[in-house]
Amino acid sequence: MFVCLCTGVTSQVVTELVAGGATTSKQIADACGAGSDCGRCRRTVRAIIAAASVEDCPRHATR
Amino acid sequence: MSEYRLHSVILAADYPVDDVDEMWAQLNERQSHLAEIDAHHVVVYSAMWGPSRVLVTIGVRCANSIREILRSPAVFELFDISGVDEIPAVFAGEVVEKIDLYEPSLDDAVAGVIVGVVTSVDDVPALMVKVHDAAPRFRQSGVRKIWVYKAFDDSREVMILQEIADEISARRWINHPDAAAEWMSKASFGVYPTLFVGRFAHLMAVEAKAG
Repeated sequence: MFVCLCTGVTSQVVTELVAGGATTSKQIADACGAGSDCGRCRRTVRAIIAAASVEDCPRHATR
Repeated sequence: MSEYRLHSVILAADYPVDDVDEMWAQLNERQSHLAEIDAHHVVVYSAMWGPSRVLVTIGVRCANSIREILRSPAVFELFDISGVDEIPAVFAGEVVEKIDLYEPSLDDAVAGVIVGVVTSVDDVPALMVKVHDAAPRFRQSGVRKIWVYKAFDDSREVMILQEIADEISARRWINHPDAAAEWMSKASFGVYPTLFVGRFAHLMAVEAKAG
């Protein structure tokens, strides 16, 4: 899915950055531009970061 | 990043809206803006359960660049007129197949329940084989139609719209989907919206721009 309409950044790109260690929407914006323009996609960016942290949690690792 | 050169595109977004009919009225007033991006149809589905929410699909013809479309004023307006400040992720893709499990009949006059999912699957062609193999079971469960779209930006990402005969069958399908409907257990995680359950609300055939 396209996360940032301003820059055309996709969820795949954001997910890869999160897997690479990004933990804040600012880090994502600095790395790929998502959320750096109008900022209206930051909630979605934060949802992707939160989902990754849940996946890392042992209780949810089997999802 | 590569651009996508396409013949036909579907955009879809799922988001909360205070007043679906008011949103629709405002969208109609901006039909010329939709024509600017070569949109040909807009369909709005309204959620049946829970807070007011819509699933909007926009068909766009002959797009040169999906990113150009997404950053156009017409797309931002869609969210602005709905009072949506935080823009959700937008699905952009093309039809894989529209499978009709029932012959059209007078019963079609009664709108079915639309269950929409955007998610990631292991293999889209393998999924389609499974869906065709399971079609008789799907039909028995009250599934009338399955429309499958694949994303341009992710080869494993799909949007699946299912039309189900009635609310009771929809509830049963959601709670106990067929094993071949693997997408039902993978919704609502990460970037993906929660399962959308609603009914057809509005359709707009966008007049092509002059010239």
